[in-house]
Amino acid sequence: MTMHEEWTDRLSDYLDGELSADEQRALESHLRTCAPCAAVLNDLKRVVARAQAAGAVARPPQADLWAGIAERIDASRTWNAGAVAPDNVAAFRGRAPRRIAFTLPQLAAAAIVVAAVSGGLAWQLRPGLSSDRVASTDLSGSPAAPTTSSTDAALSPAEAGRPFRGADADAGSARFETVGLADAQYDAAVADLEKALKTGRGKLDSSTIAIVEHNLEIIDQAINQAREALVGDPANTYLSSHLVEARRRKLDLLRRATALTTDMD
Amino acid sequence: MTLSGETPVRSGLDADVALAAGGDTSAFERLYQANVGRIHSLTRRMLGTHEADEVTQDIFVRTWQKLGQFRGESAFSTWLHRLAVNVVIEKRRSFAIQRGRMTDDADALDMLTVPAARADLTVDFEHAIEQLPPGAREIFVLHDVEGYKHREIAVMLDIATGTSKRQLHRARMLMRKHLGGL
Repeated sequence: MTMHEEWTDRLSDYLDGELSADEQRALESHLRTCAPCAAVLNDLKRVVARAQAAGAVARPPQADLWAGIAERIDASRTWNAGAVAPDNVAAFRGRAPRRIAFTLPQLAAAAIVVAAVSGGLAWQLRPGLSSDRVASTDLSGSPAAPTTSSTDAALSPAEAGRPFRGADADAGSARFETVGLADAQYDAAVADLEKALKTGRGKLDSSTIAIVEHNLEIIDQAINQAREALVGDPANTYLSSHLVEARRRKLDLLRRATALTTDMD
Repeated sequence: MTLSGETPVRSGLDADVALAAGGDTSAFERLYQANVGRIHSLTRRMLGTHEADEVTQDIFVRTWQKLGQFRGESAFSTWLHRLAVNVVIEKRRSFAIQRGRMTDDADALDMLTVPAARADLTVDFEHAIEQLPPGAREIFVLHDVEGYKHREIAVMLDIATGTSKRQLHRARMLMRKHLGGL
């Protein structure tokens, strides 16, 4: 006996449950009396079973492909420098209620601020500078302002994601600050710095003041929105780290801007 | 810096996915390591050994670029797999045009000289898949290996459901011929 194509052509549909009830009954009736067609059905079942088993086996490539992928990713990051992986930032739509976006003017302003205040930071961190000198960043010239103590205390290496060299470290004691970024400490530090900056703003040119204020406004907006988002998703570690980072940035900016006013003395 | 955009919060999203979406390449490498076997197997079966490595890299680079579109509505692996299938289908069309092999070779398996009773049946099966004519092969892989339905395949490949069914049966019969020596 030979198989009958008019029946075997329907065997896949039969296996997949794609036949109507009438077609199924007719085929089953034929299979009961036709051994070759029944054998084909069994063979096809084996093929499907093998395919399903193969699908469960994930065989990795013999060569390491990651290096090439990493290289291409790095290239794309370099290409998008300043706005790294914009699609990626949007990923937090699924994780957080809000996403971050930088506009070019904002990035430019931030870059200007960083460039403008980096001199002040370098000045602050230069070897041999006394902690008292660093502390006196208010424009009154008072060397014992409470500003620095609360500011430095508010900078947490753990929360800021990197060690911060506090005033004592500048003085050569190599002590790293370990105080947490508690709200009360942070608020006190910010208040002190804002007060000092307000006092000394007359010593900065108007464009620098505008840039600093613009960036503070942006950072405040980020802080507020991160806080709002955390209300809806308090366990979101990204949002938490983002908030800490934004707060740290505000503190850094205030501190550096205040130091600039001191530099003008 | 501004924060904008509102979407529902999804809890339990894989931490590495979130980290990678934020630009963490180490987290993305972990995602790669966890998924590369399945993705490479898909590309190898659909496109062949020679193309699999390069296309697998393309898929993961594309994944990196598209992570922002992952909403967490399905498992990351499911989303990744669908993205991979789309890339593979694009590549298949591209390769087919480049090589001028848009027509199927129905006798492809007849050219095989591999004995049906090889000791390494898995390799034999994988080899047999690679010998299937292109049209039947992609549908066989998508349906029987990867578990997609005919209606899904029809959408992916922009073909009629009936075409998908016919090609699948053709592929199964060719595989039966090879594996069973019938």
